[in-house]
Amino acid sequence: MNHTPDTSTAVGNGRDFDPRQAAALLDQTTQQTRRKLAPAQPWLLAIRAVGVLIVLGACWLNVRGQHPYQGPTSAVGPFVVVFVIANFVATVGVRMRATAGVSGKSRLRPAEITVLALAWIAVFLIIGGMSIAGVSGAAIYTLVPLTVPLILGGLAWAAINAARKDWRPFGVGLGVAVVGAAGLLAGVVAAWAVDGVGLCVVLLGSAAAIVWRQRRSVVRP
Amino acid sequence: MTDELDPLIHVPTRLKIVATLAALPDGDTLSFTRLQDLLGLTPGNLIIQLRKLEEAGYLSTEKTRNGSAQKTTVALTRQGHKALDAYTQALRDLLGGL
Repeated sequence: MNHTPDTSTAVGNGRDFDPRQAAALLDQTTQQTRRKLAPAQPWLLAIRAVGVLIVLGACWLNVRGQHPYQGPTSAVGPFVVVFVIANFVATVGVRMRATAGVSGKSRLRPAEITVLALAWIAVFLIIGGMSIAGVSGAAIYTLVPLTVPLILGGLAWAAINAARKDWRPFGVGLGVAVVGAAGLLAGVVAAWAVDGVGLCVVLLGSAAAIVWRQRRSVVRP
Repeated sequence: MTDELDPLIHVPTRLKIVATLAALPDGDTLSFTRLQDLLGLTPGNLIIQLRKLEEAGYLSTEKTRNGSAQKTTVALTRQGHKALDAYTQALRDLLGGL
């Protein structure tokens, strides 16, 4: 639908309201509303995808020649911290702006928040359990924090959205969990690269799915 | 040519209201002020159009009071969703024949 009517001059009653104008207005309004109310904005997901690729890629370049493994040097640390904080602030800000005035079922319910919180608590329990069992430092302080939160958090998010029958975030959750599992299998050095590339792909796929849904015509099947 | 189109929806302002509310996720409601902001309508005009749609059973409004502030939320009813689906199908049929 290429033609978009100027609604400011549109007629005040339906008598002279052409069906073509109506179809264009219906599509335009639906697409605008979907865009403005989307809690996950495609541009933010795309920036996050590039950011995660750069940050985790830099960590991988930093550790790939290490024998034995010692972890990223302190030079990389500030970039990771800045990325995490900027990502958090941008995500919360965009979400609050998009969902202002919206209430109802799309908001997370207490039971769903509990499931997500339990997934995070489980990560700390696993790390604590491994530490007590005497597992090596590289596994506890790099491999598990890099992969297990993705697996558990991704699965929890997928389960919540499967119950809601909301298939895009379900796919994102499942994708994140698969990336985490692949990172776990890849080992402590390669996990940085697997996470970076995998999360970048998942985020770009999610952004593309949102753009497709927002631009899909309501009138033209 | 437009006889098949629901006259209650086939008015630009009301079509925008119904399309906006239909784009919300299932079970969600929108505050009056956010709806007004999205549509760029004056409060008076929006109230008149909402009243017509509510009288037809196409949408429901709920007023809640939080201290001195009153908040009005709006949502499309099942009947409103059905009416928009029928309207959209009628538009498709008309445009397919053009």
